[in-house]
Amino acid sequence: MSQEYRKRVDLFPYFLLSPALIITLLVIFYPIIRTFTYSFMQYILWKPTEIKFIGLGNYLKILEDPVFWISVQNTFIWIVGVISLQLLLGFGTALLLNQKFFWRGIARSLVLIPWVTPSVITALMWRWMYDGNRGVINDLLVRAGILSSYFPWLANDKTALYAIILALMWQGFPFFAIMILAGLQAIPDTLYEAAEVDGASMVQKFTRITLPMLVPVLFTSLMLRIIWVANSLDIIYIMTGGGPGYATHTLPVYSYIRAYKGMDFGYASTIAVILTLLITLFVSIYVRKVLRTEDRGAV
Amino acid sequence: MKRWMMVLFFGLVLPALIFSGGAKEQKAEVKSVRFWYHFDNPETSVKPLIEKFERENPGVKIQAEMVAWDAYFQKLMTSIAGGNPPDVSQIKLWWQPQLVEMKALTPLDDYIAKWPGRTDVFEKIWELTRHTDGKQYLMPLQMVILYLYYRADMFKELGLKVPSTRDEFLDVAKKLTRDTNGDGQIDVYGFGIRGGRGGHDFWATFVLSSGAEIITKEGKSGLTTPEAIAANQWYIDLFRVHKVSPPTTPTDGFNEIIANMKSGKTAMTIHHLGSAKGLVDVLGDRISAAPVPRGTKGAWTSFGDEENGVLAASKVKDEAFKWCAFLATAENNALWQKSSGQISINKSNGQTKEAQENRFMKASVESTPFAGVLPAHPKVAEFVESVWPATMQRAFLGQITSEQMMKIFEEHFFGKK
Repeated sequence: MSQEYRKRVDLFPYFLLSPALIITLLVIFYPIIRTFTYSFMQYILWKPTEIKFIGLGNYLKILEDPVFWISVQNTFIWIVGVISLQLLLGFGTALLLNQKFFWRGIARSLVLIPWVTPSVITALMWRWMYDGNRGVINDLLVRAGILSSYFPWLANDKTALYAIILALMWQGFPFFAIMILAGLQAIPDTLYEAAEVDGASMVQKFTRITLPMLVPVLFTSLMLRIIWVANSLDIIYIMTGGGPGYATHTLPVYSYIRAYKGMDFGYASTIAVILTLLITLFVSIYVRKVLRTEDRGAV
Repeated sequence: MKRWMMVLFFGLVLPALIFSGGAKEQKAEVKSVRFWYHFDNPETSVKPLIEKFERENPGVKIQAEMVAWDAYFQKLMTSIAGGNPPDVSQIKLWWQPQLVEMKALTPLDDYIAKWPGRTDVFEKIWELTRHTDGKQYLMPLQMVILYLYYRADMFKELGLKVPSTRDEFLDVAKKLTRDTNGDGQIDVYGFGIRGGRGGHDFWATFVLSSGAEIITKEGKSGLTTPEAIAANQWYIDLFRVHKVSPPTTPTDGFNEIIANMKSGKTAMTIHHLGSAKGLVDVLGDRISAAPVPRGTKGAWTSFGDEENGVLAASKVKDEAFKWCAFLATAENNALWQKSSGQISINKSNGQTKEAQENRFMKASVESTPFAGVLPAHPKVAEFVESVWPATMQRAFLGQITSEQMMKIFEEHFFGKK
């Protein structure tokens, strides 16, 4: 085989892959590179003659921006609040749906409704339900005697973020429920039977068999949800627009407001880049830690 | 001989016929004008106007796209930055400074000078829409003047007079705020304040009429004078101290203030003709209108405008202007206002009997002498879109004082001192 022929053969697979690679590069990497580039620029859309490279200018400015720090804090509360509630509710639902009852098939389909409902509809629906003048939540709470008068859930800075967290919990818990249910069904019955023979209690079966066997599923679902929830913008923006004040400003919301209300694409890109770096850092630590735990478990 | 004729036919006559046909077709080429617009009521249509225009102007087609109001500005700005804006777009006056800065608009002075309809447009509109560089970039389309809506039945029930001053206003707002069924809870609030986006008009009505100025004639800030801070405090107190507006005030937007009027949750609010039909449909004669109350320094109400602009990137500017001029002509403008529910910009349309008898139109006309606009500053757009709502909400929630609020506005326009 001549050297020339080998060379041609070596390049051929890359040639075949190139269309897909080029499209991927264009679609995925080009916007990322542009965002990174903008973050080092003064890029205000209505000042086209003043677009220029300013190095770390935006990054330094952001450190002194109180709204940025409020947004970081809210993003943290948002992620922890939403993920933990979705996980708890999803886990409980999965355990219920794993039981045998005659309408289990229908129940499994029904539980998916919040997940398949478009975010815009979810946001509008919850906004109306929380309405401080006519909302059904207020109506029920007043009728039940829990509240003496209607409460402005979304117009109060102490409750607005938590009210949206509950709305997103409702929307996202089916994802956990279905993933965990799939994990539960993959656990062989023989393990439980053996445990029963050994006299294990319900709690012991859950902590010694169910939970450890679900670790891979929980790991993947948690990671995916953290990324999605950290990036979510639509529900918050539709329900409160980031307000009242900065009460529901998370990093994606703040970035959006700076880009499309202030037309400051440089500053908005900087916020987006910081969010990306924070998520990447968090996910890489998380992945490393889980893999190490799994390795130790395997040994 | 036959062969010779065939060669002649296919070689010369046929190409000539084809090319002459092509030339004819080129002459009759249809020019398309892309037009972006919005109506508060999405069910309304511009189709009849487009059909009329296309009948009168053969060779020009209008491709109209209705754009959602919430995303209109950002869509327009990104389309300009992306190099694919429409030929004609509806434009708010406070977008003009940024669009001019971007060189995105075509100066229309030469076109307007030759347009016979220009004298039928109210002089005040030309005056308000002319840019600070002296050029006219916008073609008037519609106008609205904000006024006070009030529940005539509730005023009658309590024997109240329509307020004409700030103090009278506060007095009636307090009296109208009441528990109507004796359960110890407030059922009706005197005034529905718009604390969310778009509520700057409410704020300006009371604060700019009582000593505050965003930019003074000397080009300085008029926001942090003791008088301006006190005027702002008075406005904040409507919600925080006197509690004459619902607890949802900080986030209430257009839908909420109108729904609250319709349901009887509030007895007064501020808006324009655009919502008159909807309110009358529900409340009939129980809803009425009057000019907004005067502040300590006079009266101020918002001149809500909308114009058409021909984008600089357009390749069909002549046709684009024709369409703008068509819409600004009395007969067509009257048709447009039937869809938009707003006021015609034409003098000849203002004289109709219907316009004089309509109580909402009357309130608009009576408010004309003191109707004003926000200053022509490139930062007004961001002020209206995000700075004002977030800062006002924080003041309503007690997170910042009146002085801190006005300093934030000052820094927005003039930078940190």
